[in-house]
Amino acid sequence: MSAAITTRTTTDLDAPEAPRTSGQAVWPIVMVREIVVKLRDRNFVVGTLVTLLLIAGGLGLQAFLSGKSNDVTAVVSGEGARQVMQQVGQTASQREDAVNLTVDDAPDAAAVEAAVRDGRADVGLVHDADGWRLVGKTDLKPSMTAYVTEVVGDRTLAANAQSAGTTAAALTAGGTVTPQLLDPDSNEGLKTAVGFIFSFLFYVASIMFGMTIATSVVEEKQSRVVEILVSAVPLRQLLAGKVLGNVLLALAQMVLFVGVGLVGMAFTSYAAQIGLVAASAAWFLVFFVAGFAALACLWAVAGSLATRSEDLQSTTPVLTTVIMVAMFVGIFGEGVLRVVGSYVPVVSAISMPQRLLAGEAAWWEPLASLLVTVAFAAWTMVVGERLYKRSIMHTGRRLGVREALKVDA
Amino acid sequence: MLETRGLTRLFGDQRAVDDVNVTVRPGGLTGFVGGNGAGKTTTMRMIMGILEPTAGEVLWRGRPVAWEDRARFGYMPEERGLYPKQPVLFQLVYLGRLHGMTAAAARRAGQEYLERFGLADRANDTLESLSLGNQQRVQIAGAVMSSPTALILDEPFSGLDPDAVDAMADLLREQAGRGVPVLFSSHQLDLVERICDDLVVLAAGRVVAEGKVEDLRHRGRTLHRLVVASGPAGGTADAGWVRDVPGVAVVDVDGPVAVLELVAADASDRILREALRRGSVRELSTLVPSLSEIYREVTA
Repeated sequence: MSAAITTRTTTDLDAPEAPRTSGQAVWPIVMVREIVVKLRDRNFVVGTLVTLLLIAGGLGLQAFLSGKSNDVTAVVSGEGARQVMQQVGQTASQREDAVNLTVDDAPDAAAVEAAVRDGRADVGLVHDADGWRLVGKTDLKPSMTAYVTEVVGDRTLAANAQSAGTTAAALTAGGTVTPQLLDPDSNEGLKTAVGFIFSFLFYVASIMFGMTIATSVVEEKQSRVVEILVSAVPLRQLLAGKVLGNVLLALAQMVLFVGVGLVGMAFTSYAAQIGLVAASAAWFLVFFVAGFAALACLWAVAGSLATRSEDLQSTTPVLTTVIMVAMFVGIFGEGVLRVVGSYVPVVSAISMPQRLLAGEAAWWEPLASLLVTVAFAAWTMVVGERLYKRSIMHTGRRLGVREALKVDA
Repeated sequence: MLETRGLTRLFGDQRAVDDVNVTVRPGGLTGFVGGNGAGKTTTMRMIMGILEPTAGEVLWRGRPVAWEDRARFGYMPEERGLYPKQPVLFQLVYLGRLHGMTAAAARRAGQEYLERFGLADRANDTLESLSLGNQQRVQIAGAVMSSPTALILDEPFSGLDPDAVDAMADLLREQAGRGVPVLFSSHQLDLVERICDDLVVLAAGRVVAEGKVEDLRHRGRTLHRLVVASGPAGGTADAGWVRDVPGVAVVDVDGPVAVLELVAADASDRILREALRRGSVRELSTLVPSLSEIYREVTA
């Protein structure tokens, strides 16, 4: 049979066939290229570094300010003023409001006022014939005023009680007010801030890497290189490589930002809450990956429907709108909307971690929500692949989704 | 051996490619000629799996071609294109890897071809910074660097200057010399005539002629040219008398030159005898049709 003979001749004349790299899987090659190209993109690298600097800088400023506000220089004059100030320092540290207090003596009230006025001291305490005066330049910290009032009051009470032949304890018996906090560790403000920051990160990263996928697809279409790619790589693997490459990049970038943020937090006054933030960060990352993966193939479709990169302006707004709505519902949704949202794919990427952060969700809820998102992602991948296949070779003009479904592959 | 069987593609109601059977021999250069819209590109795209055939199939070594086979083919699409903003060697390595090479082998082969094309010092420049001719060289390097098992090249000569045409012709012969089938399309019939072993002529989506170039030349009737000179009697030489020689079909007579078909077996002897009797013979030769003539004949 001539075919058999031909085959042998061909093989004999052929150079020995180079070993295939890894069976039939080509998507890792596509994925690695996608990542390498992005890492070689100066805009991406500079943007990431600038963001890192902003995070580190913001946290550094926070640490600097909170450290500085603990340094208090007090200048005192008059009998007992130095003792009062030192006791204020002790009381503050007992109340976990540690101040680094320096106490300087001044000869008289005028010297105290002068020291505060020209900034040599943050606060002044004067005891003279008119009684006690706490001196500040433009304002006084309420906590400082409260501590000084308390210490001076206690001392006066004790002295007066002694002259009246009784004790301070006897005089104030039954009249003390004990502050009681029902939920001292709820960190409401911190939780709101963390939720907001993560939601915003999701929004920015989703759109940025989504646009990267769409751009990467349309560039291959616009430059016609796609014809060579399609002849060598099954479309499914081409799409998978692209999507996975960008999901990994997005995840890596988020982990980097969050990691630097957490390390930086250790140097601020929020150091004690790192555990809380780290736990919710882990949930946000998991849901980010799921939510982003759910849309990734659709970003590729948005790219394949375009003919030139300019067309992306008209093929991507649907996706950016979906992500924006998800962010708003995720941040501001309350009650039923928030619970429902935490199960709707993409919206859940923000809503569910928010609920977890607030402690509203049972242990199985994030898992159930993830399952819904994964199922949705599988569906978008199937639909996305089909649309991508139909539109990627269509070079005439920009396609609508309905048209793409009609194109013969 | 690369074959197509009954390959057909419809765009709407229009039959762009209609029942095309082509065989591309290993070790040979097969030229694919036909006018614009004849279906060459559509056929090549179906061979490469970029377009689904409406009917028919592509066979590789006797079996229906799979993408793993195609991944080892070298392909140069009609619409050229690589990544304009990526460095030259970087994308060659990527293409090599997609075609089954290891990263190291792809890098080596990419560098070798860039050197061969005089582009070694541009390896790290972006593709768009190269001239169009050099971009085309990179493109062909991408098609052949992986030592493909078959080559499908759509208009590889278009846009090349004469020197580059020669270099490309050498490269194609060299590739065929490795024992792989090479199919390329071209508008330039003289070029195809010069370098091809086999020819497929496509018109309106159908194969109108196929085979070895030599066979095609002699497929029609063989014509001869006779040129006579006047005899000792002098006067104007005129070959008009050939019309009266039996066993000879005359195509054209123009003064001393006649184009004729020798129908009877002994017609040539008879013609010569008669010519010598009347004067002298300057030429009796077989007319080899040019490819353009064959093309015009088969596509008419």
